[in-house]
Amino acid sequence: MSLITKIGSIDIRNPLILASGVMGTSYSTLQRIYNGGVGAVVTKSIGLNSRKGNPNPSVFALNEIRSAINSVGLANPGYQVFREDVEILVKNHVPTIVSIFGENENEFSEILNGLKDFPVLAFELNLSCPNTEKGGIQIGTDSEAVFQIVKRLKSETEVPLWVKLTPNVSDVIEIAEAAVNGGCDALVAINTLKAMVIDIHTKQPILGFKKGGLSGAAIKPIGVRYIYDLYERFEDRIPLIGAGGIMSGEDVIEYLLAGASAVQIGTALGVAYPENMIKFFISKIKKYMRENEFKSISEITGGAH
Amino acid sequence: MKKQTLANSKPLMGKIIDKQEECDDTYNFLIDLPVKNKTAKPGQFVMLWVPGVDEFPVGVAGYENDVLELGIAKMGPGTTAMLAKNIGDFVGIRGFYGKSFQTPKNINHLLIGGGFGMTPLKFLTKNLIERDDNLSIQIFEGARTKSKLMYLDWLQNLHEKDQIIFNVCTDDGSFGYKGFPTVALEKFLEESETPSVLYVAGPERMMKVIFDIGKKYENVIDMQMSLADRYMRCGFGICSYCAVDPTGWRICVDGPVFNTKQLEQISDFGVYRRLDTGEKQRI
Repeated sequence: MSLITKIGSIDIRNPLILASGVMGTSYSTLQRIYNGGVGAVVTKSIGLNSRKGNPNPSVFALNEIRSAINSVGLANPGYQVFREDVEILVKNHVPTIVSIFGENENEFSEILNGLKDFPVLAFELNLSCPNTEKGGIQIGTDSEAVFQIVKRLKSETEVPLWVKLTPNVSDVIEIAEAAVNGGCDALVAINTLKAMVIDIHTKQPILGFKKGGLSGAAIKPIGVRYIYDLYERFEDRIPLIGAGGIMSGEDVIEYLLAGASAVQIGTALGVAYPENMIKFFISKIKKYMRENEFKSISEITGGAH
Repeated sequence: MKKQTLANSKPLMGKIIDKQEECDDTYNFLIDLPVKNKTAKPGQFVMLWVPGVDEFPVGVAGYENDVLELGIAKMGPGTTAMLAKNIGDFVGIRGFYGKSFQTPKNINHLLIGGGFGMTPLKFLTKNLIERDDNLSIQIFEGARTKSKLMYLDWLQNLHEKDQIIFNVCTDDGSFGYKGFPTVALEKFLEESETPSVLYVAGPERMMKVIFDIGKKYENVIDMQMSLADRYMRCGFGICSYCAVDPTGWRICVDGPVFNTKQLEQISDFGVYRRLDTGEKQRI
């Protein structure tokens, strides 16, 4: 039995990938989570310039639904500063996927070209952040823009390009189709769902940005459906990476059965000992594989179809 | 393992039931929380939400009968808005977050604080004076001037009752001796033949100075310092804007109190901090 996971041309040691936005602002937390046992890590989304993001509160938990809401809003140090962190990660052989975002094709291109001298595993294009006025989700809902960005970036690098899709559209297949036609190497679904929380005492939205994105257990069935739909459409033409509300090893299996080749975990790691959580995930995946006589992760992928 | 998933929630709305001026631009608040059986320990912090303005970490100054005590000094828009709040107003509380001070028996407890950092030390003092296994409890407080000394009356009163030894100083000599808390601290450490633990909370630059002093003395068996004044967003370890290099420890979960062994591994301690963008800033 092997946990080695294939995502297109890439092999990682197991199907767990740290999702963008969680513990990914500096090399030290990314290194820590990789040492903790995941197969690869995705950085916080990096942009052209440093960015403060939105005012606090910008992240809090909703424990009654084992979820979290955030409106961090792409706070990041800018790609020139972040190069230092990427350099340490690749030097330490941490399989790193750099998430990047931009307001337009040219911005994406500049960031990509500013980082492409590092042997990173892939670039993940964040076309789906719900917490900004411009960029992110706007681009991610425009299939023509998605096609153009992916096509352009593909012509500028040999490094695999992953596209992270937003669930906040009426037809995810159309956007996915555009990304695939543009030449992307994997699809990641889903990003957070548009959400908000209002305090009834003060009658005010709690998040500083008022509105945010929901992650955690509450969105898992939605993510599973997106992966299922995408697998139905593309089958093995494009690797799918499942994300959204994965809180246990069993949830990982569910995403794999829906059609994912690998998964991303994030909200589940907001605990005292994320390393233990990762070990727990892995042991559950192994147990399932043993009990169901699966020899590899790829045998599970799409099993529900 | 089940308990590990998000053992926290959205801000709980607490009602301010008391507000007292503590010193210049600093007030002590008592906040009634709508929860039962949640305990806080000295060194832990809460994320305080001032509705519509900001949310930021504040060290717990006390917690008894579901009433939370917080000391707030004017520092930015968030704390300024909090100081404008009055009895009856609601504010949001998330927590209690982070690791607390660890207090061994039969030692000298040396509490060193500056400014805002005095709030967790007040809670620690309250807990320590209830015990009978201490060699001594000593407070070393420093401020720019007399009107900036937090908990002055309270600490003086404890000193007069022989419950603590209060070493107080100001930069301008307006109260106590003129100079820094390190003067009295070093004097004690030089003369003492018994083991001591240092508990420090305040500006990081000051903590680094004290850390370097403490390392010179064999009778200092541990130093515990709170890095809670770093920038934080989530408070429960998910965003990592507060994480330190190279260990990747999140101050909000793996700290905010770190011991000597840990502090030695934190390369950015006293050197740089990360801003809200994730960029480094020299301390």
